[in-house]
Amino acid sequence: MKQLAELKQAGHKAFVAYIMAGDGGIKKLGEQIQHLQERGVTAIEVGIPFSDPVADGPTIEAAGNRALAEGITLEKVLDEMQRFDFEVKVPLIIMTYLNPVIRFGAERFTQEAKKAGASGVIIPDLPFEHRQLIEPFAKQQELVLIQLVTLTTIDSRLEEILKQAEGFVYAVTVTGITGSRDELAEEVGAFTRKVRELSPVPVYAGFGISKESHVEMLRDDVDGFIVGSAIVQAFHEGRIEDVEPLIDAVTAPHSV
Amino acid sequence: MTRVKICGLMEEQHVKAASQADAIGFVFAPSKRRVSIERAQELSRLANNDMQRIGVFVNASYEEIENAVKTVPLTMVQLHGDEPDELIQRIEVPVIQAFSIRTPDDVEKLNNSIADYILVDAPGTDYRGGSGQVFDWSLLENANLDHSRLILAGGLNRDNVQAAISQTAPFMVDVSSGVETDGRKDEAKIQQFILQAKGDSMERTKEKTIDPVGFFGRYGGQFVPETLMKAVKELEAAYEDAKNDAEFQKEYHHYLSEYVGREQPLTFAARMTEAWGGPKIYLKREDLNHTGAHKVNNAIGQALLAQRMGKRKIVAETGAGQHGVATATICALFDLDCVVFMGEEDIKRQQLNVFRMKLLGARVESVSKGSGTLKDAVNEALRYWVTNVEDTHYLIGSALGPHPFPTMVRDFQSVIGKETKRQILDKEGRLPDAIVACVGGGSNAIGMFHPFVSDEKVRLIGAEAAGEGVDTERHAATLTKGSEGVLHGAMMKILQDDAGQVQEAHSISAGLDYPGIGPEHAHLADSGRVTYQAITDDEALASVIEMSRLEGIIPALESAHAVAEAKKQAQSMTADELLVICVSGRGDKDMATYAEKMEGLS
Repeated sequence: MKQLAELKQAGHKAFVAYIMAGDGGIKKLGEQIQHLQERGVTAIEVGIPFSDPVADGPTIEAAGNRALAEGITLEKVLDEMQRFDFEVKVPLIIMTYLNPVIRFGAERFTQEAKKAGASGVIIPDLPFEHRQLIEPFAKQQELVLIQLVTLTTIDSRLEEILKQAEGFVYAVTVTGITGSRDELAEEVGAFTRKVRELSPVPVYAGFGISKESHVEMLRDDVDGFIVGSAIVQAFHEGRIEDVEPLIDAVTAPHSV
Repeated sequence: MTRVKICGLMEEQHVKAASQADAIGFVFAPSKRRVSIERAQELSRLANNDMQRIGVFVNASYEEIENAVKTVPLTMVQLHGDEPDELIQRIEVPVIQAFSIRTPDDVEKLNNSIADYILVDAPGTDYRGGSGQVFDWSLLENANLDHSRLILAGGLNRDNVQAAISQTAPFMVDVSSGVETDGRKDEAKIQQFILQAKGDSMERTKEKTIDPVGFFGRYGGQFVPETLMKAVKELEAAYEDAKNDAEFQKEYHHYLSEYVGREQPLTFAARMTEAWGGPKIYLKREDLNHTGAHKVNNAIGQALLAQRMGKRKIVAETGAGQHGVATATICALFDLDCVVFMGEEDIKRQQLNVFRMKLLGARVESVSKGSGTLKDAVNEALRYWVTNVEDTHYLIGSALGPHPFPTMVRDFQSVIGKETKRQILDKEGRLPDAIVACVGGGSNAIGMFHPFVSDEKVRLIGAEAAGEGVDTERHAATLTKGSEGVLHGAMMKILQDDAGQVQEAHSISAGLDYPGIGPEHAHLADSGRVTYQAITDDEALASVIEMSRLEGIIPALESAHAVAEAKKQAQSMTADELLVICVSGRGDKDMATYAEKMEGLS
């Protein structure tokens, strides 16, 4: 995760790609990670499918259902990651809902995630208040527990969350669920500016980011972008090259 | 659970590493760990808000202490010198007085301290304030001491802290040199010490997480996406306020009597009593409520609360459609905008209720995902709420979801149990021996049970849905077959596979086929206060016929599960005993199912 802070210091923007592990079969996982890191993404979120993904929109939910139909579980994903025969060059972050982790065992999860080469964990239904369920185990394994902040996070809470932030902060740029949007709300820029002022770690915008126009709009107010649904759908439809301009729009050196 | 204090902090990264502790200490007395007040202030800013900040002094003046308390600010003061009682009394924040323990006589003196807490340590060496040496903990074991004010220090480290806690049962353990390497704090050691002190199993960690507010034992909580936290917290505050507001309660009860038609009778079921040949059977008649079930009790309460919060848009989920109808009804009454999510499968089963909701002006959204039943409707309602949270209230119909929903729904439904208690005392002069209610998410049952939970002699029995049988894959017997998990915002019991994927539930009753059970029920099941039995589809259907013909009351399919379980309970009860059944709703909505399943009925 140190790479992320260094990238920010060097004045570059990060591109974090979200993929649904096992969408198209477990063997796709390694292929997709290799493809994305070759293509220059900064970090990759490895999504674990869940039966009731309430923070996700139709694209990611459908991908999760396809993965579940393939019999994908948290355990299988972590096993597969431990078997990768290529060099993983970017930080991998496990993104999962809480219940599969509780079922697997929090301590065992963090140990296996570490062995699988993960650097961090995102759990969208584990609020800051209940982080003790996971955080002590994550710390033991030196995994960072990435926090989310949203447009509805009140200021006092925002400060409290950011004080503890590690790795990067996931700034949710829509009041809603994941999925591509045409437009982002006007207030998003002010929100990400506020988060960035307070955050000790890089701030990445996610949820709804799918277009170069979104990147243009927020470029100066964030340290990076997280793209999920657009990538998941492109992989599913076998046209990942369509997302490449978006990756370039974020990562290419940019004249100010 | 024993609290943990990490003392003698001087560097930022060590304060951060102590984030799971309960207290941090700054040493202001001469010591190699001494910090200035300004430095303590800087470090203190990095700690959680709920962390105790303790300043350590040796024979400092009141002014010096007070300045530190105000400036850092400190939440506690720890004194290691010969401070007089007058000084201790003057200090506004709680005071910890430290004592060196060598002999049993030293232990005797502890009770003379007027401080809020007593810290016990081994005698110091170079400086006063502890040597890092272990003293004989057994000196404390047999002493007449108040362990709730005891803080244990002296030579603790990650290897001995568990033993120290089990031997001395202190309020807090205090460590400094035990988490250092070469005289400097060590982040890994700090974290390992905290884990050891608090127990390194998931079990113990859960207890730490569990704040008494919003939890029933280990179940409950607020496991929702960050976007919803603001709404959930606002609701928590608004409900707390409304609950204690006589005007709000008056208005709620006004609608219960003038609109719902409460109070509902506790009907003596003479023919069921005779037919079953056991206890006297009483029926709590929630079927007589306006809209046909208990759901309206909660819908009114929450709709009044939503308006109080300035929200005029309501989203709800529904299984059988009873909660959807109740919500649509109340939204019509109060002129609120209403959208109801309902599973595709349930829409087919409950067409009449779907039409009722539409007639009442609600928008019914069909959910085709998953099994197309209640669980999926809750998912969609949650997504809708995430997207429209600023002006919309999520009117949850069962005793589940993130805190405060389980508590709030229970409170609004407790009118059932309160009335029952009053009525049975009027009629029989005593409390019933047993009460049976059906459980899906558990709202009518918790409303019925809650006022009786502390009446230990009243047996409470929940009837859950066994569907085609608990040994088949088609059931909704969450307490019989489920395990602990997080779904729809709460830790509760759920039906899940080995990978933690939530399974589909099945019951002929659309109101019971939910794969979870509310957190309070999960807790009552663990504690043994309520027993839960599973009733199959066939048993429920047989009870529908029996009750209809014996009492002229056609129960809802959900309620029929309670009737079937009551009949089983009655077998082992005697004529001088009393059994109450909660008839949560009437069978009108189920007529199409009854007609289909009972074809050829004569």
